[in-house]
Amino acid sequence: MSAMPTSCREIEPHLLASAMGEATPDAVERVRTHVAGCPECREELTRYRAVDGMVDSLRRAPGPDDDATLARAQLTSRLADLRSRMVTFGVFPSPLGPLLIGRSEMGVALVQYLPASGSLTARVRRLLGDEAVEDRAATEGLRAELIEYIEGRRARLAWPLDPRRMRSDFQRRVLEATAALPYGAVTSYAGIAARIGAPSSFRSVAQALRWNPLPIVIPCHRVIGGSGDLVGYAGKRVELKQRLLAVEGVHARPAGDRDFKVHREAMYTLMNGEVEYCLPTCGSLAEHPLSDLTLFGTRERAEAAGFGPCSSCRPDLHPLPA
Amino acid sequence: METGLFSQPGGTGVSMGRVMAEDAFEAVVGAHHAEIRRYLLRVTARPSDADDLSQETFLRAFRAYRALPPGANVRAWLFTIATNLGRNHFRAQSRRRRAYAAVALEAPTGAPDRTDGRVLADEARVRVEQVIGGLPEKQRLAFIMRKMHELDYAEIGTSLCCSEESARAHVFQALRKIRKGLDGQLSAGTEPRS
Repeated sequence: MSAMPTSCREIEPHLLASAMGEATPDAVERVRTHVAGCPECREELTRYRAVDGMVDSLRRAPGPDDDATLARAQLTSRLADLRSRMVTFGVFPSPLGPLLIGRSEMGVALVQYLPASGSLTARVRRLLGDEAVEDRAATEGLRAELIEYIEGRRARLAWPLDPRRMRSDFQRRVLEATAALPYGAVTSYAGIAARIGAPSSFRSVAQALRWNPLPIVIPCHRVIGGSGDLVGYAGKRVELKQRLLAVEGVHARPAGDRDFKVHREAMYTLMNGEVEYCLPTCGSLAEHPLSDLTLFGTRERAEAAGFGPCSSCRPDLHPLPA
Repeated sequence: METGLFSQPGGTGVSMGRVMAEDAFEAVVGAHHAEIRRYLLRVTARPSDADDLSQETFLRAFRAYRALPPGANVRAWLFTIATNLGRNHFRAQSRRRRAYAAVALEAPTGAPDRTDGRVLADEARVRVEQVIGGLPEKQRLAFIMRKMHELDYAEIGTSLCCSEESARAHVFQALRKIRKGLDGQLSAGTEPRS
């Protein structure tokens, strides 16, 4: 081979390309001219053509283990498993600071207030696991509705929810009772405890709400202390609770250093189990603990929730001062 | 009222339809899984490895699918993932590889009938497969992608992290070795051998 003439060595790559059918017309012509005068290269071309033909028949031949059915079935089941663990999330600015929304194939899985700075990746991994994928487009519809809600242009978030981040059955019951509180209403931690039939567990209720995976959506901001103090929210960010309540027409006033307080004498009052809302001074209402009551900031909210004005104190005729 | 919180199917507000781009990916699996598995079978010569690696290819693809720009060449992208998985697999099993490659895909059964021309062709084919099995990794992968799956050189270059020219050089080099490996079995009688 080392004795191959220069012209043969030069033509060799073109000869290969020609045999494989991928040479340019120009190269094909050069090969044709060359092999016309060079029997060795002519034979080489024939051999390469034979190799190419053999490879081609190899390509067409079905292999002995060419059945992909089983692998496909396994893949389908593994994909289903992956899908069920997968969460897509988006992070976006809001009037309450940066928010994260995560959704799974079951529904909305997580809403989180984010600190203004810090590593998002580590936080997301911790909150959502390894199968979290950022996809702003997939959460855009949710983002738009949540912003409308925060700005008071929407009173309801009818989202399917993913319950898998509930920590216990107790927490699930607490969150369900909290979700049943009407827009524009508040009650106390003990009030939620009473509603789930565990009246002495108000501390556990507070704890369960502290780990609410879906704040705003499950309105834990409507649950306050028995004295009317807002007490706590999203760590130490009780001002967010005050803002969310203000949007709904519940006005809490500054109390002490950092807290805010809902004043019962400024709220329309519903005795649990009743269908009529009252002025706070009606009958013996003022003697009841907040846990027996639901308070509304405005008559409109009480009526939107399906309650009528009390026929003895007539809040419709004697509304509270705005 | 309370029990419905986490069980309302579909809800009413926001469509969850696009969540995982499921339908689109189902179509990708349907269109390419069999071919990717065949590619990996040719690459690994082991059905069980081809099964595992083809599944892994699509699981990885599923995770990354949403980030793929619209109009991307999905098939070439899947070949790139499969190629990388195949190469990692070899790295992990480099000592065992040659032993398996040597028995690559062969399926000769029964005693060959010497008078049948087809059998001679089959023998040559088995020989081609053996030579392919013994090629250096990049040449082998490039050759399989080009000649068995008809990817173009740019796509092969992407899969192997090399230039289009290098991809072509790998394929040509593979072809030369196969041609040498078949010396004596090709074009018998056309020319006297020196």
